[in-house]
This record gives sequence, C-alpha cells and structure tokens, in this order.
Amino acid sequence: MIETLKKEWLTDPKTNILAGILVALALIPEAIAFSIIAGVDPMVGLYASFIIAVSISILGGRPAMISAATGAVALLVVPLVSEYGVEYLLAATLLMGAIQLVLGILKIGKLMKFIPKSVMLGFVNALAIMIFMSQIEHIFGISISTYVYVGVTLLIIYVVPRFFKAIPAPLIAIIVLTAVYLFMGADLRTVGDLGAIERSLPSFIIPDVPYTMETLRIILPFSISMAIVGLVESLLTAKIVDDATDSYSSKNRESRGQGISNIIAGFFGGMGGCAMIGQSIINVRSGATTRLSTFTAGMVLIFLIIVLGDLVVQIPMPILAGIMVMVAIGTFDWGSFQYVVKAPRTDALVMIVTVVIVLFTSNLAMGVIAGVVLSALFFATKISNITVDRSESGNDVSYRFNGQIFFASVDTMMNQLDLDDHDKAIELDFTAAHIWDDSGVDAVDTMITRLKRRNNQVRIKNLNKDSRKIINELSMINQEELNMGG
Amino acid sequence: MYKSILLAADGSDNSYRAAKEISKFHFEGTVVTVLNVIAYSDSKTDVLHGSNNRSLERERLAKISNITEYFESENIAYEVLFEHGEPKETVVKVANSGDYDVVVLGTRGLNSLQEMMLGSVSHKVAKRAQIPVIIVK
Repeated sequence: MIETLKKEWLTDPKTNILAGILVALALIPEAIAFSIIAGVDPMVGLYASFIIAVSISILGGRPAMISAATGAVALLVVPLVSEYGVEYLLAATLLMGAIQLVLGILKIGKLMKFIPKSVMLGFVNALAIMIFMSQIEHIFGISISTYVYVGVTLLIIYVVPRFFKAIPAPLIAIIVLTAVYLFMGADLRTVGDLGAIERSLPSFIIPDVPYTMETLRIILPFSISMAIVGLVESLLTAKIVDDATDSYSSKNRESRGQGISNIIAGFFGGMGGCAMIGQSIINVRSGATTRLSTFTAGMVLIFLIIVLGDLVVQIPMPILAGIMVMVAIGTFDWGSFQYVVKAPRTDALVMIVTVVIVLFTSNLAMGVIAGVVLSALFFATKISNITVDRSESGNDVSYRFNGQIFFASVDTMMNQLDLDDHDKAIELDFTAAHIWDDSGVDAVDTMITRLKRRNNQVRIKNLNKDSRKIINELSMINQEELNMGG
Repeated sequence: MYKSILLAADGSDNSYRAAKEISKFHFEGTVVTVLNVIAYSDSKTDVLHGSNNRSLERERLAKISNITEYFESENIAYEVLFEHGEPKETVVKVANSGDYDVVVLGTRGLNSLQEMMLGSVSHKVAKRAQIPVIIVK
C-alpha cells in the first residue's frame, strides 16, 4: 500500500512536476474556450479544471492521466445553460458526479467493452466536428483581422514545434499574439467581452436552484448524458495512457474518482469534466508517469489564473478559436476515412450513424446509445443466421443444424425444415449448433412433437453440454430421445 | 564482427531495405533486435482501431511483418522490441543503452511530413548515437 503510494506519487518527481507545469499552460486556453462553448464565465471552466485535476490526481485510477473541463461535456450543456443558467449547470454537475460514482461502485468499467470500436470512432469524430463547428461563430464573418489572427495562430501551432518544443506552441501563440494585439490594437473580440475572470480561489457553494422534482426533471437528462460521455471519454483515455505507459489501471476506481471529482467541482462553482486525450498525451510525452504530474497541473493552473487573471481577459478570441481548431484536428481520427472504406459495411454504417445522430441531436450520449443499439441489432442479425442441411438415404433422414438457436433465429430455422416427412427415422444433428434460451428449446420441442405426430422416429445427436442442460431444465422432450444420441 | 545489431524499423520500404542490408554483414550468432517505436500519438490511433488490448501487440507485429518474415526466411536470429516514445529520441536512447554494437536504419521512414524534412530520424541518430550507425539508402 505504502509502496504503491510512493511509486504513484514520488517516482521521478522532477520530470513529473515539469510535465505538470507544461500541462497547466496547455490547459488554460482550453478551459477558457470550453467555458465559452458552454456559455458560462471562463472561471467556471478554470475552477473545474483546477478542482478536477487535483481531485482526480488523488482519487483517479490512472496515474498521469489529465482530467479537467472538457469540450465533450461543455458541448452537452449548451441548451441547459442558455435556457436555465449556470446554477442549473452546477446542479447538473453534482448529479452527473453522483451517477458516475454509483456506476463506478457497480463496477461499470467492464461495460465499456460493449461499446464497439465503430461507436468509439464515431464518438471521437463527432466530438471533433462539434468542437470545430462551435468555433465557426468566433472565426467567420467578424472582421479581416479575426481571420489573420486565426491564421497566424494555426501557423504558430503547427510550425513552431518543429524547431522548439520546450513551451507548448498554443501558449506561444497566445503570448506573442496577445502582445501584438495589446500594442497594435485590432478589431477583435477578447475573452473579457465574453465573461469575467476573478482572481480568487473557488469557494464552497450550494447551487442556487429550487430543490424540487421540476428541477430534477430539467437536469436529469443532462446529468445522465454528461455522466455517460464523461465515462466514455475517461475510460478511452485511460486505455490510451495504459498503452502509452505500458501499464494497467483500475477502470472502476477511475469511474468512482471521476464521480467524486465532479461532485466536488459542482460544489465549488465548476462545470463537469472528464479525462482529456490530448492533454494526457502531452503529459505522458513529457515523461510523466505519476499522480504528482496531474496534481501539479491543477495547482499551477489556479496559481497562474490568480497571478495573471488580468492579462487573461485581454486574450483575443480568434487565438482561442485557432487553438480549438487544433484541438478538433487532433481529436479527429484521420484513420476513419480508410476505416469507412475497409471495415465491414455494417461497422462503417454504425460509425457514420453515430456521427450523424450526434450532429443531429447535438448530444454525444445519444450518438453512443444509438451506435450501441444499432451494432447490437446488426450483431443479432448476423448471429441469428442459421442453416439446416437435410440429407436422406432410404428411410433415414438427417437434419444438420449450423448456428445459434435462440429467439431471433428460431423462425429461420423452422422455415428450413420439411415437416411433411412421415414414417421415417429422423436424426437431428446439433454438432454445430447451440441452444441458448427457452425460445430455442420451444422450437426444438415443437419440431420433435410434429415429426413424431407423423409417425417418425426422432433421434437427437451431439447436443453440447450447455444446450443439453437447458433442454433438461425446460423441455418436454423425454430423456429417451436425448440419451439415444449421446 | 557485430554480435548484437539494432535495427530501427517502422515497416516502411526503407526499413525493409535496411533489414536486407543486414544479411550482408551478419554472422552466425548475431542477434538482430528489431526496434519499433510507437509514438505517443499513435497510442490513440492504435487503441481506437485495435479490437481489444490483446490484439494490439499482434497488430503492431503485423506492421513490421515484412522484416520479421525476411529474417525468418534468411535464418537470421532476431527479437522484436516495442518502445513508446518519440522516434528520434527513443532510437538514440536504445542505441546508447550499451546492449548493441551497431544501429542500422533506413534514410527516411513512413511519416510523409518527415520525408520533407529529409530523414530527421536518421540525421539525429547519426549525430547522437555513440555506436556505429549504418544508414541504408
């Protein structure tokens, strides 16, 4: 226990602290931009990022993973904030955390494996597209200088790292271009035009909403979506960090940690958040392996805001928009184009449907649910494929069943039988079949009863152990027929 | 003679040519370590596109199968080493670990942007490695 704690906190502290500082610098523009997407003051995202990073560093399951305010959650809450205001967002965040905590206690991490690859691809791509679309209003049709600032920001972000990597390029873009703006002025909107920055630590508050069923009715759908999306992105990120650091982490502890962190965030005026793929990769790439890096990121972030708050409001919006374009490009899975061409048709369709549903409903959770349901249907269709081969020699007829016998496949199976046989010796060969449920047992029962009614002798062959067990429990077939096969 | 050869491989034609070159100077008892560096950003792509954790390694092995199959057909003893990190630094780090006599690599890899930058990995390795470097054109 002490050994683990030591390893998870104190291995190579210098590298981890430096990585954490780097992440803090990269988090600031994103936390502000995500707040603006959600329609709240930048402080709501900054407080959230500080609290969630610090809290998850202690409670999370995945050392060196970075969690903070994220685009995925921010995009979900836009309608809630615009219709009811920020207090409802805080209340929804509390409930989101509570749901995640319960799911974590119920060991829901395992359920992640039921989200197919095609749905995950659709999820990240839809997220990328939505982040990009959220920036259109900050880029297009404002002023010529807006285009210039966005362009130069992107140039700095993509060219500078080729020569200089010590400071994150987005931060260089912010410092250089904000300085240029302060000296030369331009027709631009700034962060200050969209919200205020307070140079203070967050304090404990209870969200100012009426605690009624009506409020619950309003926030519950949002909280459920936030909880699902937060866990999907967090557990995906955890898997990526697992791979990048060649280690394993507890997904259930991560789910519980995400839940508690969001509850704390809600009580301290922060919006909900989750793990961030991009920031976690920056952290690991900088050599981080421990919880100390995540903890440092949160602490440095709030320190910088308190010291530099006055400067932050001067940052021109187009710089943040440029950074968000980079985030969108980095989030998008560019291998998906090849995937759509090469993957099985149904998988490609599931991915596209997931993206389309998200864009249509502006709700990532809807996309995930629709994607999972659709792929489950495709799976059921595929697996309900059953064939029955009939062979006949003289008075002997043999039916050979190939496939899974369950509620979705029994009709196909029965349609392939010729129940007109009479006075024959009929063998039902289940070597390549498996009976799964009572519909399957019923079907076999029906088949045997009908065959016997026409004076046939029926024999069952090679029923596997599980199928035999369920037949024994549910069927009217007598032991005689079962045992004859063996 | 070289007993322990490090081959930086990304599965590209260039690294395949580098592998073929090894057949000209390997001896019985020589072991070639095929090093494949997985960039941190590749972890995202691989996890998203991999069917599950266990198949990840298999899919990564498949990426350099042109090289391992070649070594098998030539009866050259080899082992595969996956390392996470930025390609340049990681190849240098492994080359300087003291376990290898020589490092072999192609002029440029798969990354099309890096092709424009004129084989920055081979450039860096040539500069920083403390063991002989063979760059195969």
